[in-house]
This record gives sequence, structure tokens and C-alpha cells, in this order.
Amino acid sequence: MEINLIAETLKFLVLGMSTVFMFLVLMVLVLNLQSKIIRKFFPHKEEVSIPKRPIAQKGNLAVIAAIAASLQSYKKSK
Amino acid sequence: MKKLIISWMFFLGIACMTTSLMASDIAKEDLNKDYKSKSVSELFSSLYESTGLNAMINPQEGLVSHGLKVSTFNQGAGRVVMIAICFTLFYLAIAKGFEPLLLIPIAFGGFLANIPVADIAGPEGFLGILFNIGISTGLFPLLIFMGVGAMTDFGPLIANPKTALLGGAAQLGIFGTIVGAAVLTEYTGFINFSLKDACAIGIIGGADGPTSIFVATRLAPELLGAIAVAAYSYMALVPIIQPPIMRALTSKEERLIKMEQLREVSKLEKIIFPLTIMVLCIIILPDATPLIGALAFGNFARESGVIKRLSETMENALINIVTIFLGLSVGSKLAAEKFLVPETLGILFLGLIAFAMGTAGGVIMAQIMNKFSKQKINPLIGSAGVSAVPMAARVSNKEGMKEDPTNMLLMHAMGPNVAGVIGSAVAAGVLLSIFK
Repeated sequence: MEINLIAETLKFLVLGMSTVFMFLVLMVLVLNLQSKIIRKFFPHKEEVSIPKRPIAQKGNLAVIAAIAASLQSYKKSK
Repeated sequence: MKKLIISWMFFLGIACMTTSLMASDIAKEDLNKDYKSKSVSELFSSLYESTGLNAMINPQEGLVSHGLKVSTFNQGAGRVVMIAICFTLFYLAIAKGFEPLLLIPIAFGGFLANIPVADIAGPEGFLGILFNIGISTGLFPLLIFMGVGAMTDFGPLIANPKTALLGGAAQLGIFGTIVGAAVLTEYTGFINFSLKDACAIGIIGGADGPTSIFVATRLAPELLGAIAVAAYSYMALVPIIQPPIMRALTSKEERLIKMEQLREVSKLEKIIFPLTIMVLCIIILPDATPLIGALAFGNFARESGVIKRLSETMENALINIVTIFLGLSVGSKLAAEKFLVPETLGILFLGLIAFAMGTAGGVIMAQIMNKFSKQKINPLIGSAGVSAVPMAARVSNKEGMKEDPTNMLLMHAMGPNVAGVIGSAVAAGVLLSIFK
């Protein structure tokens, strides 16, 4: 039997697009639900402590630089 | 005692030597049996017969190379044409910056595959070996997908999941092109695609190199070279193909739409995301799990945050190594006898249509969604639904900035962009399931 190529491919079009959309719509629904659950039960608080560290580190760096510089000048003066 | 042993060994050595010397005396007569004395001119002419020049000028009837019978045209002029095409690809990659990471290995592979006599792309040649290891088995595209997963931040998609639908609509390019291939077969006399061929060509519209290669090796291995070249060249041409379509389909007001700032996504959500995708994929379409699974693994490794060494290897070293092998072995399919057929022209033409349709599908979907939802979407990000990460998202951003320099669409466009990768993997799964 001769297959009508165009009719076959149109069927693929319907099948393919509906599967892709079904998958993605389901994904959207699940993701929305998931984010609601996660935000309700595991609200994130990571941000609170972050701003302090970089400043402290900068201070440390300055101290380290000063120590290094003084060590070097001490060695040279020897 | 010691001396006795040494002298005994010495004696043994001498005895062995004399017997082997006697044996070589007999062999001497046979040594040059397969060689006849030749004059200097004969020596030169036999050297000439083994040159590439001779192989191209005096093609042999019925020569078999790469497992295919090669016509006399493809042994001579065809090879020269293919090498010229490879050089053009070098030019495009180096001077014009078209996807050089892939086009250079592919074009060099093509160059090597078209060398006469050596048969580098044959089953014994090194390109043939690489091809059999990684492409026929579908392994390399999956490894690349792992790296892509490790590189990709799905945050923008998780923050605004709705934009995933744009990535779905852009897959219209894939299925529309399959219809297009059937139309070409039906109404032109000289181009003939089977249904499997048509599906393998359609996947070019997914704008995703590894997915195209994965599907082509399963459905239409003989078209692989042309499909891969079309997929990667059009991906490079995204900044040229997409903007006119995007502008033609949208009004100025639509292009000026500003979108809300994306919410922050917690680490936990990002860790769970690849697992969610996997579960969905397992339930709906196990045929797509090789692709999605590799992607999810790469992404899980990235987001878990505790195996940095592995995820960094995947997104750098592994993907680079595999890209070299993948490019070269795909290039080996650029041998004249496979590439210089009318079908190639059809593939190049259909690939362009696929990209255009995918772009249009995404943009139109955004407009439809705007009709139904209060949260407006700038239709320019719809075009990013044709994967091609991150090029397509950058194009959306650039077009948006053209209308309003303060309108940053990049992060918004990344949502449909990465959804496009998932969408085309799902589409690939559908196509593979049809021919099971």
C-alpha cells in the first residue's frame, strides 16, 4: 500500500507538538508546585551572614600586606 | 662452580648462534621472491601510480571506499570540490567566527576524509575508528549533553517556569520541517527522503547539534554529514536568520515590553530541578532519557555543589575532548560520495526553513500567551526557544536593546532558551519512539 507521506508527517506534527507541550506544561505545573512547597517549608536564610565576610577578609588582606611589607624591609635592612 | 656455569652458558650461546646462522642461509633465496628488478623509470612510474594525483586523475572503476562504491566523478573532481568546501568552512570559522569550535574539527575531518588512497574515514582509518566508537553508538552526543548540563544554569527557567512554553512552541520548527521534507519528496523529482530521513532532517530545527547527531545516527546515518553541517552552520547564523523574522512578527509596543525582575531561586530548588525533569521524563517518554538523563546528571553534579572537581571536568575537559572527536568523526561523513548528492541541497534548504519556523513559533506563542495572562512577556524572548544556547538568548537581548537600551532581556530569554534544549530532547524522543 502506498503511504501518503504528507499525511503521515502531519500526524507526526500533531503527535510531536502535543507531546512536547504536554511535557512542558506538566513541567511548569510541577515546578510551580515545587517552588511553593520549597519556599514554604525551606525558606532560605543564607543571605543574612554573607555581607560580613568579604569586609573581614579585606581587613585581613590589609593586615597581611602590612606584615609582608614590614618583613621585607626588615630582611633588607639586615 | 661459578666459572663452570658461565662457560656452559657461553657454549650454549655459540651453539644457538650457529644453528640460526645456518637457517638464514636457506632463507636468503626466498628473501626477494616478491620483488623483480626494475629500471629507474619503472620505479618512478610505480611511485606515480601510488600518488594522490594519479588516484584523482585516473579513477578506478568500482573502487570501494568507506564501505561505499565510489563513482569515478567522486574519486576525482568530487574530492576536489569537497576539499574546496572544507576550505570554505575553514574560512567561515576563522575569518567570520562561525562556531569555530565545531566547524574547524568538522571541516578538517572532511578534508582528511577526502584524501585519496589513504582511506582515513574507512573502518580501518582513525576517523572511521572514532566514528564507530562514538557516533554510531550515539555516545559522543550524550557526553556533550553531560557537559551542557554542567554548564547550564536553569535558574531563569525555575524562576519563571511559564517561559518554558516558548521553548515548546519553537519545536514547531522540527515538526514543520518534517512535513516540508515530505512535500519536497512528493513534488520534486530528484530529492527523495524516506520518513526516517525526514525526521532526522527535521531535528535540525531543534537548533541543538548533539541532539541532531544523536537522532541522525539512529534514523538516517547516511545523511549524518549534511545534517550536522547544516545544524552547526545555521546555529552560527542565528544572529542573521532570526532578527528579520522577529521584527516582522512583532510591533514596536510589543518589543518595548519590560518584564518583571526574576525572583531569586534557592539552591535547593536548583538541586531538585534535574531530578524533577528526570521523573517527568521517565513517566512520559523514556525514549528521551538518554539525552535528558545525561543533561540532568551534568546539571545535578553542578548544582549539588559538592563535586566541583567532577562538574568542572565535565564542562571543560570532557566536553572539549569529546568536541574534538565528535567534530572530526562527523567530518568524516563529508566524503564526496556521501555529500555530493541532491539530497544535501534539500537538507540545507530545509534546515533554514526549520530555523525560521522555530523562531516564528516561539514569537507567536509569546503573543498568544500575552492574550491570556496579565504578566506580559516580551515576544522577543520567544525566539530564544530554539535552543542554540546561549546565542539565541543574546539575539533576543540585542533586539530588545535596539528598541530600548535599558531593557535587559538576557536573563528572561535564558528561560525559554534552556527549555528549548529540553523541548528538543523530548521531540527527539518522540521521533525515536515513532520508528521503534
